[in-house]
Amino acid sequence: MLLNRASVGERWRIRPDGPAKVTGSLEYLTDMAREGMLHGLVLRSEYPHARIRSIRTDQAKRLEGVHGVLTYLDVPGLNAFGIARPDQPVLCEDRVRYVGDAVACVAAETPELAARALALIEVDYELLPVVAGPIEALRGDAPQLHPQGNALHRTSFRRGDVEEGFKQCAHIVEETYETPRQMHTYMETEGGLFVPEADGRLTVYSPTQHGFMDRMQLSRILAVPQQSIRVVSSPIGGSFGGKDELNVQPYGALLAMHTGRPVKIHQTRWESVRAGLKRHPMRIAMKTGTDAAGRLIAHRASIVADTGPYSTLGAEVLNFATEHVIGPYRYDHVDVEGVSAFTNNGMSGEFRGFGGNQAIFALEGQMDRLAERLGMDPWAFRKLNLRRPEDPGPFDQPIAATEGAVKVWEAIAECSLWLERGAPAESGQAMLEPWIKTGIGAAFTMHGAGLGVGIPDPAGGRLTLAPDGKIEAAFGYEEFGQGLIATLELMLIEQFGFAADDIRIIIGDTDAVPDSGSTTASRATSMMWKSLRRLKEPFASRLLERAASVLDAETGELRLGEGGIRERAGEALLLTYRELADAEQSPIRCETSFSFPTSPTDRVGAHFMYTYSAVAAKVELNVLTGRVKVLRQFHAVAAGPVMNPQGYLGQIEGGSSMALGFALLEDAVMEEGRYMTRNLDTYLVPTIADQRGAVDVLPIEHLPEGDEHGPRGIGEVGSVTLGPAIAAAIRQASGKWVTRLPVDPASLQETPVFLSEAVNGG
Amino acid sequence: MSEGETVKNEYDELRCTINGTDYSIAAPPSERLLMILRDRLGLTGTKRSCDIGRCGACMVLIDGKSVNACLAMAYQCGGKRITTIEGVAAGGIDPIQQAFLEEGGFQCGYCTPGMIVSVAALLGEHPDPTDDEIAEALSGNLCRCTGYGGIWRAVKRAIEARRSAAT
Ligand code: FES
Ligand code: FES
Repeated sequence: MLLNRASVGERWRIRPDGPAKVTGSLEYLTDMAREGMLHGLVLRSEYPHARIRSIRTDQAKRLEGVHGVLTYLDVPGLNAFGIARPDQPVLCEDRVRYVGDAVACVAAETPELAARALALIEVDYELLPVVAGPIEALRGDAPQLHPQGNALHRTSFRRGDVEEGFKQCAHIVEETYETPRQMHTYMETEGGLFVPEADGRLTVYSPTQHGFMDRMQLSRILAVPQQSIRVVSSPIGGSFGGKDELNVQPYGALLAMHTGRPVKIHQTRWESVRAGLKRHPMRIAMKTGTDAAGRLIAHRASIVADTGPYSTLGAEVLNFATEHVIGPYRYDHVDVEGVSAFTNNGMSGEFRGFGGNQAIFALEGQMDRLAERLGMDPWAFRKLNLRRPEDPGPFDQPIAATEGAVKVWEAIAECSLWLERGAPAESGQAMLEPWIKTGIGAAFTMHGAGLGVGIPDPAGGRLTLAPDGKIEAAFGYEEFGQGLIATLELMLIEQFGFAADDIRIIIGDTDAVPDSGSTTASRATSMMWKSLRRLKEPFASRLLERAASVLDAETGELRLGEGGIRERAGEALLLTYRELADAEQSPIRCETSFSFPTSPTDRVGAHFMYTYSAVAAKVELNVLTGRVKVLRQFHAVAAGPVMNPQGYLGQIEGGSSMALGFALLEDAVMEEGRYMTRNLDTYLVPTIADQRGAVDVLPIEHLPEGDEHGPRGIGEVGSVTLGPAIAAAIRQASGKWVTRLPVDPASLQETPVFLSEAVNGG
Repeated sequence: MSEGETVKNEYDELRCTINGTDYSIAAPPSERLLMILRDRLGLTGTKRSCDIGRCGACMVLIDGKSVNACLAMAYQCGGKRITTIEGVAAGGIDPIQQAFLEEGGFQCGYCTPGMIVSVAALLGEHPDPTDDEIAEALSGNLCRCTGYGGIWRAVKRAIEARRSAAT
């Protein structure tokens, strides 16, 4: 059944954080202000690559109203950050490697004064040659950006003997695919408020996807114990992976500690573009072959990623892409090589889809080309080569088996959009202007969730009956729009029988929540579900035991219900949660911690749990302008039970809009290490006018009997599958293969027959 | 004129009505309305995202028409009637806001105040807009989270709600 408000009935709920959002009363962390606060600004490098000869700050410091001008000399601890490997300078000392590198930061009484102070800082640069792309970076004579050279990370995976395999092939397709430097474009740019407290601690109000990671990184930079920092990190005006790494927090924290006053930072869009992460541009070359009957035999992929100047999660993204260029298909011979290279371009890092978007675009492109070469229906071709539930994962690792792959395959095969594809095109075409062409395409994704083997992936949470009688659920996850609070509330209602009013949800504050790991990699919903399952028995029985002793009853006669403890057999409310809390000396509390399930393999980055999705899309191409419109989409998603219908639908709709942008519009263009697209006038994301077509979402909730893992992640997969489906639809509409995203309209323009006839005199 | 000078010329005074209250605000004529609202008056429901009129996060109503507050300067606001998202919600949750709540027309919520202001301007002018008119009126409001599906549903529902309230 399609997912929509009507089909889900009462489970479609108004989000608890909704009223404050629609009335504008919700205070985002970049809305905060304090009496006497200062305004912080960061001086970023003028050049993509240069040596710093000197930094002079005296003039800036002399300006009245300026309270802090800091350089690398003022960093008390580690002058570097980076989730996986701290190699990005907080404040550069002797060299800048991209136009977002920070050289100094200032705090002043007004934003104007801060800007003047910034202009008075004199940095003497000696220009160095720019490494403008990953291929140049890997040449022997390229300037080396780091002591270990320009290769951040290399990957490889081999199965069988791919050269032997190609010898057996009847059909081979070779193609190179390129994908853009996509920007997260969260509507709230980076920022926050940094407050030195009377007791010597520092409170950081700034969006992030993992408050405890920020706290750890900031403690290293400030050289203070972690406990002396509190990170408050929700609500967040969008993140999509882009705010997982530190951004302005080090500068706000340093300036607040230095001046002893609250400091506010809120980046302009250009500062955000210049300094912030983007999706890794990738160049993926593939060679894939089948036998005469269409069975895949050999597959080779070579990935080159532009990771920009520093590590952040570039290696992990490459690991993910390496797994996902293999995907859900069966081949005897596989050979994948990947390299992620340092350049003087913008920073690349974590972004919804995490390297899957690029990999799947390439892989699905191969499937469509091979099917066509064979004269087969592209969907039937996929079925022939699709994994079976019991097959190992792409890296030959054991995975949690489901029937998701075949079920999403079937859903597309049966959907009206796909059936329309096979219908005679002329009848439809006859009704259209001659320069309008339509096409339908489909694509398939098997998307890993969690961080994978080799990366610590903690999870957990806490339930408490608080002294005021509220059931407090505390999790270290963040709300950046995805609906995590709403999902958690609905799980508590459905699993425990509480009413919404009984519940208080606490997230996004390192002083108040346990470390539940990062809110990333499509993992939070799964981990909250699992936490509640582990907490249910101990927490419920503690509550019932205590209630039984207060009521002088047997626990077997009682149950948890709305408002309090109720009689098991009936509805009668016997003891409110407030009364139970009053009767207790100390709060009733249960906590759990565990790790995201991983595959028993030592292959770093291999996943254990997967979400399967398939998308069919219909596009309309205007051959006069080369513009493509997406008219309809059908998404089938196999991710286990739907925890929060509105959130689920929103993740697929919203994710697919990002995929539409990735395929048709978005690219943060760089030339010689400089951004050409600096704001939303030239960096185009989809508008409502681009999203007029229906988006149908079919959740496939089936899981095998005995499955212990519950809901799989859906936060990312929506952003992955639509891109290659659009490319396939464009092929049907235009006869042209797309190899590079975003699609260049000029490449699809044609002189229509009737015009060329007119020109040639008919 | 330098900072902190106490003598003001007449242009430093912005007189206007914001959410039904008369204000007299000391602000240079070129100061942008967005900063006046957020930084001087603490009306932070109006959001800042691009500063160049391309995203709609800062949308307010000036005499009933939607205007990007990041582009409007103080001198252009003199004598005007300005409504921000806080003003839309002044009489309790408006039917447009209710529709956004019920249909899930938001996620992170950062675009939402501006989006709702644009919908209010649209429905103020065309109570029963066509899809083309809706797309036109809202194409200056970017939403990165929802993919606009929930926003389409919310706008349709708001139109319905206003229609049934009117009959
Ligand atoms: S901030 Fe005004 S339109 Fe973007
Ligand atoms: S809800 Fe996040 S930008 Fe619209």
